[in-house]
Amino acid sequence: MEEWKQKKVLIVEDELEIRNMIDGFLRKEGFSRIFHAGSCKEALVICASDKPDVAILDVMLPDGDGFGLLTSIRRFSQIPVIFLSARGEDEDRLLGLGLGADDYIVKPFLPRELVLRLLVILRRVYAPPQIDRLPVFQLGDSTVDLEAAIVTRDHHEYALTAKEHALLRKLYENRGRIVTSDALCQSVWGDDYYGYENTLMVHMRRIREKIEPCPSTPEYLLTVRGLGYKLLVKEES
Amino acid sequence: MDGAAQILRRYTGASILIAFFLLIVNYIILGTFVFKGMNEGSSPVHVTQTVAEGLHQNGSHYTLEPKAQEWLQKSQAWAMLIANDGKVIWDYAIPDQLPRAYSLAEVAQFSRNYLQDYPVFVWEHERGLVVVGYPKDSLAKYQFHFPISWISDLPYRLLALLFGNVLLAALLSLFIGSRLIRAIRPLISGIHALSEDQHTHVEAKGMFSGIARSINHASSLLQEKNALLKARDEARSNWIAGISHDIRTPLSMVLGYASELEESDAVPFEQQQKASIIRKQGEKLRSLVSDLNLVSMLEYEMQPIHTKPIRLSTLARQIVTDFLNNDLAETFTIELDVTTEQCFVMGDEKLLVRAITNLLQNSIVHNPSGCHIHVQTTLSPNQRNALLIITDNGKGIEHSMLPDLVELPYSSKRKSTLHNGHGLGIPMVARIAAAHHGHLLLTSDTGKGMTAELCFPLSS
Repeated sequence: MEEWKQKKVLIVEDELEIRNMIDGFLRKEGFSRIFHAGSCKEALVICASDKPDVAILDVMLPDGDGFGLLTSIRRFSQIPVIFLSARGEDEDRLLGLGLGADDYIVKPFLPRELVLRLLVILRRVYAPPQIDRLPVFQLGDSTVDLEAAIVTRDHHEYALTAKEHALLRKLYENRGRIVTSDALCQSVWGDDYYGYENTLMVHMRRIREKIEPCPSTPEYLLTVRGLGYKLLVKEES
Repeated sequence: MDGAAQILRRYTGASILIAFFLLIVNYIILGTFVFKGMNEGSSPVHVTQTVAEGLHQNGSHYTLEPKAQEWLQKSQAWAMLIANDGKVIWDYAIPDQLPRAYSLAEVAQFSRNYLQDYPVFVWEHERGLVVVGYPKDSLAKYQFHFPISWISDLPYRLLALLFGNVLLAALLSLFIGSRLIRAIRPLISGIHALSEDQHTHVEAKGMFSGIARSINHASSLLQEKNALLKARDEARSNWIAGISHDIRTPLSMVLGYASELEESDAVPFEQQQKASIIRKQGEKLRSLVSDLNLVSMLEYEMQPIHTKPIRLSTLARQIVTDFLNNDLAETFTIELDVTTEQCFVMGDEKLLVRAITNLLQNSIVHNPSGCHIHVQTTLSPNQRNALLIITDNGKGIEHSMLPDLVELPYSSKRKSTLHNGHGLGIPMVARIAAAHHGHLLLTSDTGKGMTAELCFPLSS
């Protein structure tokens, strides 16, 4: 985690107080290489000389707007960019994201949110290339290996079909939360999922037969009537 | 244009009626006024008959009754009796130059025409032929001869004449009427355009040029007023957007530093609690600011709506799930009841989510001690609308307060202001429903819970 905090962060914001506040939060989180700019011109100079790794851009600046600034930066750099703006209309957000920003945060914001989003972006952009491995997790006596698509229980191995695998993966990503049947169907059958509700029920029953000790009284894969399903995973690590 | 056709129909009908009426009146006038003079006094034939009947033989003398004599005097007429041998055997005031004997040819001649320019009339008498003569140039005498077939055809001819007149009147009035309509039609379409609040320019010429100018003037006045109204709405909406924007930056700092203090271990617990209150209030302010902006955009129809077909049941499931996933207090239970999955509406997903979320939030905020919330998606009884009904069994609101709920706080339509919440939630729902050509229906009474029914037209 700490390696991300060695990255150089550029804050472009014309309000000195906001700049200082963000600076304070970032330093508290462990970032130390922080650059400030109060205008587009300063920002471009810093981009050229110090080569920041990530930039937080305000949209309204004294000598132009953040959208124009991003366009200028994109001419020579592909650094990730977060917009931080008081302009929260859909058009502004779409414009900012359309120009290639990695995120768009509307003021007023919680500092924690900004830091978390910043870290997500740094991790995504600068993580060493590695093959994403799907998780292996424990449901009581069953071990679900999503990478291998195998459920192991009582020394038996049950193979998951492609659809069961996709459903279990979606449920695991939202473990502990209700996932609507629409979202589950969509993750398996795509946007034309309508009419697959009954098929979904059949798949859920097959998954239960593989993961539950007693499929008719499920403990881990619960039905939430009228809404969808919930996977209960007790995190052990 | 329907208006023009109606005018033409009325005009033609009225013209035909007028023509028919004129015709009748003319016949009556002709009969009573013009032909009245024809038989003025007593007709010559009648006088002649009276003379013939009033002439009696008295031996070799003839006497004329005084009444007949009086009539002759009155008309300054003379009379004679021609015997069968052609000799005049009796006369009365006969002019001197007239012969006293006539041949058969002469009799035949004057019986049809004139006797030496005297208009004469004859009547048969037991002794011969009574002839009554009128002064020269006092009467015109004509003979008419009609074939019998002509006479028997006369009723048909008169009828044909009548119909011809009516037809001619109809054609003429149609012709004149259609010319009139051609002149009026631009005016009519101009007025229709005015009523639909569209810009219109009527070509000003002919007898209606004054009206056309007035219509053009009214149109440009309306356009100006509309532009002014639009500009004012835009200014208002921009003003609110501007204020919301200006509040965001200071609020960022309030929220930022408050949450820092809240999380800081260096700060005593009590101060952390205070910082937490500041942050929570700041977050309320944040939602108020964005609600204010959205409501003002909806109010002045500045919000662009990006519609797509949305399945209402999917949306409801997602929202209810979000509430359940986001740590809803134990005291609240939410139940979803989908009666049909085939319920699509054309809508802006973000706005619809906002509306439904606001309604659920409303039930939660106003029933702090908890309640059961029932969400139902269904079709209206007439199968034309999609309904989303949210019912809670909470404390409800006084029936008379319901109309107030959908009005904006501090608006002139609202009788009293609410103290709970910032009061933009329900008005926003009503405006989002209106922006989707739907409506919000609230039913409630004290202690009876609240039912909010969102009604949208079905997407085909």
